[in-house]
Amino acid sequence: MTENGVYVYAIIPAGAALPAGAAGVGSPPAPLRLAGDGRVTAVVSEAPPQLRARRRDLMAHQDVLLRLSDGGPVLPMRFGVVAPDEASVTAQLAGAETEHLATLRHLGRGVELNVKALPAQDSLAAVVAEEKNVRRLREEVRRRPGYEANVRLGEAVATALSRRAAEAGNTLLHRLTPLARAVAPGPEVHGCAFNVSFLVDRDESDAFRATVRKFADAHRDRAEIRVAGPLPCYSFVASSGLRPTAARV
Amino acid sequence: MTPTMYADEVVPCAPRAGTLYDVLELILDRGMVIDVFIRVSLVGIEILKIDARIVVASVDTYLRFAEACNRLDLERDSGSTTVPELLGGGVAKSVGKRKVRRAAESVGDTVRSAVGAGGSDDDEDEERPKKRRAPARDGASRRRRAEA
Repeated sequence: MTENGVYVYAIIPAGAALPAGAAGVGSPPAPLRLAGDGRVTAVVSEAPPQLRARRRDLMAHQDVLLRLSDGGPVLPMRFGVVAPDEASVTAQLAGAETEHLATLRHLGRGVELNVKALPAQDSLAAVVAEEKNVRRLREEVRRRPGYEANVRLGEAVATALSRRAAEAGNTLLHRLTPLARAVAPGPEVHGCAFNVSFLVDRDESDAFRATVRKFADAHRDRAEIRVAGPLPCYSFVASSGLRPTAARV
Repeated sequence: MTPTMYADEVVPCAPRAGTLYDVLELILDRGMVIDVFIRVSLVGIEILKIDARIVVASVDTYLRFAEACNRLDLERDSGSTTVPELLGGGVAKSVGKRKVRRAAESVGDTVRSAVGAGGSDDDEDEERPKKRRAPARDGASRRRRAEA
């Protein structure tokens, strides 16, 4: 029955219901069930054979967590956490029940909003107009065209685009921090100059998003700002059950 | 059967959750990990991240930026377009801007292709993390350079 192990999606307070219509990882999607007999419950399913980070399963994981977080506080698991069997899930929950409950209480009605700043793809004219270094290298290319000069120019453009996006992100960070209960830097994403998550009460997430959008509109020539959420609190589950990210991967 | 089901499940979440690409690193690198449980190997995704890094920092990317920069220059010198006009949206039709967009999007494309987040071609994408698309782009750039 559990030959591939038990896939763990989330830990929720006991008594919370499974979201209707949600299905788990695997093909066909594995039915969800609850595991645990204490004051916290795990949402689990059978793990599929040869689980990998494929689109279908990533989306199933995310979808289950989004639906769960609509219903109340959730401790989201990282993608791909598999327990050997249901008994080990129940034992873990029993052993760490107090910490899990404390984290659930701390999150309360909080949701995660993730804000990214990427180099503004349409801002080359602004970069040429405003970046002295780029202008100088561009003139050098004009005077003495060549491979090396072009590489230097292109590198300066790439650097300037990233720096401008990071600066816009940091300005935005100062505006958003007072609106959030907690702030957590996101993992490094290549090509992304700024990546930060904010813990915001669900009732305030619309206002938060509106603030981000307003800033994004006003800084289009410096950064492409993206906001995602409300999300399950992936970045705010720093209980002792969480291994430091740096030690992983 | 599966593609239809994905569409049904994903559409309600899309406006608030962004694309899968936008939150991929949170799903993969954040969230709880419980010591006594194991975690699936993510070899495909890790290879992909390395690919993305190579593309971003590559000479080809720089040359594409430089080419775009030089084209912008030519347009301005021709007297038909000034920098303020470019800023005002005239650039939207220009070759230069398209070149920059292509260069700047290369990372996103690579990551997006891993999860197929941008497309409607749902299920076939599953195997795409294994394909290394950077070499193809490199080849194209080399050809462009050779022509120049």
